[in-house]
Amino acid sequence: MRLGFLALALAAGSTLAFTPAVHSQATQQKAAESNQAFDPHDLSGAWWRHGKSGSTLSRNNVPPMTPWAQARYAANKPGIGRPDRIVPLGNNPVMQCDPIGFPRIMFYDAYPTEIIQVPGRIIEFFDYFYVHRTIWTDGREIPKDPDPTWYGVSVGKWEGDTLVVETVGFNDRTWIDDDGHPHSEDMRVEERYRRVDHDNIELNMTITDPKAYTQPWVGETKTWKLDPKLELREDVCVPSDEEKYKEEMRVPAATPPGK
Amino acid sequence: MKGTLVRSLIALAGFLAISASLSAHHGSRVSYDLTKQVTMKGVVTEYQYQNPHIYIMYDVKDENGTVAHWGVETNSPIVQARWGWDKHTLKPGDEITVTVYPSKVGATRGYLSKLVTPDGKVTNLSAPEQ
Repeated sequence: MRLGFLALALAAGSTLAFTPAVHSQATQQKAAESNQAFDPHDLSGAWWRHGKSGSTLSRNNVPPMTPWAQARYAANKPGIGRPDRIVPLGNNPVMQCDPIGFPRIMFYDAYPTEIIQVPGRIIEFFDYFYVHRTIWTDGREIPKDPDPTWYGVSVGKWEGDTLVVETVGFNDRTWIDDDGHPHSEDMRVEERYRRVDHDNIELNMTITDPKAYTQPWVGETKTWKLDPKLELREDVCVPSDEEKYKEEMRVPAATPPGK
Repeated sequence: MKGTLVRSLIALAGFLAISASLSAHHGSRVSYDLTKQVTMKGVVTEYQYQNPHIYIMYDVKDENGTVAHWGVETNSPIVQARWGWDKHTLKPGDEITVTVYPSKVGATRGYLSKLVTPDGKVTNLSAPEQ
């Protein structure tokens, strides 16, 4: 039922049959030529994501971890990221196609995201892992005691020209980033989106999770760049393909001959 | 030749444009020595055009006729499409020239640096970031 509605919403978003974005999309096309006019409350389009720290919230101001988080951080073994952390095989959850989760899905520069705005919600569709999340903009309150999920429950509202999104309701099985930073079920994530000009969105994110970090983790400003011609493709993580790749490439590459 | 050069430059420009974070999300790149490159000729036995990484299995024959079975991996299909790759890029039996960053432990595996396909098309990926 829910999927059916999502399909309808996506169809609506892609055909622009009845959304308020119809007009602004047309304006946007025109603006692309003039490189001027844009609607600051319209974030729709396909965007490339950039951040100088790459696949994490920020590298320079990670707050101190609690003992609970330190133990988890020590147990998490990334295959990529900081040179002092990486090991050849490791236990990165995505290496068996476990969901990458939020906020980690937000940090990949090499994969674009499409934003679809329909009445009452904003949908972010991620090329990477071919997953989506819904940001509810229908005025509802953030749930007080949400069930744990991989991508959380998100509620957004406009404060002037800034879209402020709160997300809660996580399980603690995902990593925050490629480095293997942990989080608890109590994590709260704030996102602040601002379309600074026709081609760019600035995104600031803050993670608050007292069980894991002694202070809020204030991320660097990320920039999302509009690509009007971009069409998302599917990037699905397939467990059986992942297993075959592991057997034929990842494990042999790390195994000395004769062993 | 000129066309090849132009294509290489276009590919390089494409790479530079998005190179900042072309990191192997499935965590294998740490297994390869990014300071070394090895070039060899081989015959494709398998072209796996799939996630998480495209990889090519190929046979390399030395001067004594001994065949070594190699494998080289690169980015996901969705990323490699930016270099013009698709399901037709290779097929079993194709003769290829491959330059790889070799396995640190001496296994016959590598990460793709450069590929020349039978039609002369060159894919030249600069040193990837960790």
